[in-house]
Amino acid sequence: MTEPVIPKTEKVVAAAGAKLSARNLSFYYQQARAIDNVSFDVAERKITALIGPSGCGKSTLLRIFNRIYSVYPGQRAEGEVMLDGENILAPGYSLNRLRSKVGMVFQKPVPFPMSIFDNISYGIGHYEKLGRAEMTDRVEQALRQAALWDEVKDKLKHSALGLSGGQQQRLCIARAVALKPEVILFDEPTSALDPIATGKIEQLFAELKQQFTILIVTHNMQQAARCSDYTAFMYLGELVEFGETETIFTKPTKQQTEDYITGRFG
Amino acid sequence: MTPANEHIVKSFDSELARLNREIERMGNLALSQLDAAISALNKRDLAAADRVVAGDNDLDQMERDVAHDALKLLALRQPMARDLREVYAALRVSADIERIGDYASNIAKRSKVLSAEDPMRVTAGMIPLAQMAQQLLADALRAFRERDDQMAITVRARDVELDALYTTLFRGLLTYMAEDTRKLTACTQLMFLGKDVERIGDHATNICESVWFLVHGKPIAERREKADRTAE
Repeated sequence: MTEPVIPKTEKVVAAAGAKLSARNLSFYYQQARAIDNVSFDVAERKITALIGPSGCGKSTLLRIFNRIYSVYPGQRAEGEVMLDGENILAPGYSLNRLRSKVGMVFQKPVPFPMSIFDNISYGIGHYEKLGRAEMTDRVEQALRQAALWDEVKDKLKHSALGLSGGQQQRLCIARAVALKPEVILFDEPTSALDPIATGKIEQLFAELKQQFTILIVTHNMQQAARCSDYTAFMYLGELVEFGETETIFTKPTKQQTEDYITGRFG
Repeated sequence: MTPANEHIVKSFDSELARLNREIERMGNLALSQLDAAISALNKRDLAAADRVVAGDNDLDQMERDVAHDALKLLALRQPMARDLREVYAALRVSADIERIGDYASNIAKRSKVLSAEDPMRVTAGMIPLAQMAQQLLADALRAFRERDDQMAITVRARDVELDALYTTLFRGLLTYMAEDTRKLTACTQLMFLGKDVERIGDHATNICESVWFLVHGKPIAERREKADRTAE
């Protein structure tokens, strides 16, 4: 038995009711360090936004939180990511279990080339054996949660590729929530969408956070300010500042944060 | 990342600078309006008083310009943090200056009534009161221009002196009115004039509070001492 790792608390900012906690987290692409000793908490059923310039490590952080990186050789994480008190980076933590708890929505909507219905049921079928009626209910529930049901209920057998970009993104959100995850990671979920579709997704965030813990990477500063409860500002792989969103966007404590959010960067 | 004072989008800086220039001009105009109003009162100069009243339109227009530019900046730039407070402070300070202009105009109007009556010794008492308010305003505007939070808090604390002098003059006026009821009209005008001056001090403290908020992102914690005892 090794002693439990006591994190250096220097940069830890504990949010009330942490669901997911990074502890002394570092990440390497081969020899290059992309994340440098980052510690912070993602509060349960709150929205946490990750902001920072391109290359600051925010997307890498999301990739660690669902261990997508582990399928690529030469990429490794050090430190801990605690999900409900268990380290998801530990070798014993099953990827299948992690995937069922942590869902992800990407920048560009990537619907499977199949029907709307099958896009949702496909993932569920991997985890649960449901009868037809139950599956139909689950698909409807997921589409409703993603505020897409009314628009697609009469064309569930149609190809998902025929949906608009905004609808496709909500389909991807439906696909993620259909697995009943606890955490949903969003990597720039609206950057490819028009303002109306963006508004719908933002409205959705507010509803989804009743049930899910949400982490959003966004380049849209106003979106982070509007939607999130907590904001983390990253730069060059380090967590510069973490705090309540209102504070970060009105009176940040670090000059670097101020320079970034006011557009004085660099 | 090097800490930079300039925005990546240069026009953002020029828009903020323009907003500050407009407030600077407003402040200077309000100061000269107040100065001219005091002088009109002191010299019983009706024409000068009329010029002050007419000049107030310029201040009103300038405030509308600031509001227009501030709204445009909010809509187009979506300013954050310090930038947001800059715009917010600009709106507040310009409103305070505009109001001060109204009071200067009031003083000029009342000076005309007073000038039409026989001179009173109590009128002279208003001059140092007005000059004190003028200095408070000048210093509050300087604190704003220099974003000097310490100066702002000092100037704000000085309003109590203005209040105290106002209370003294108010009581003196009451006595004077009781002694000679023929002076009631003139004295009532003078009483309101004193109140106008006292209110200028309050708006100067508002400007100081805006400076503090601009710098710190939160209101001044300390309570302000008040010495206007005329309602007691």
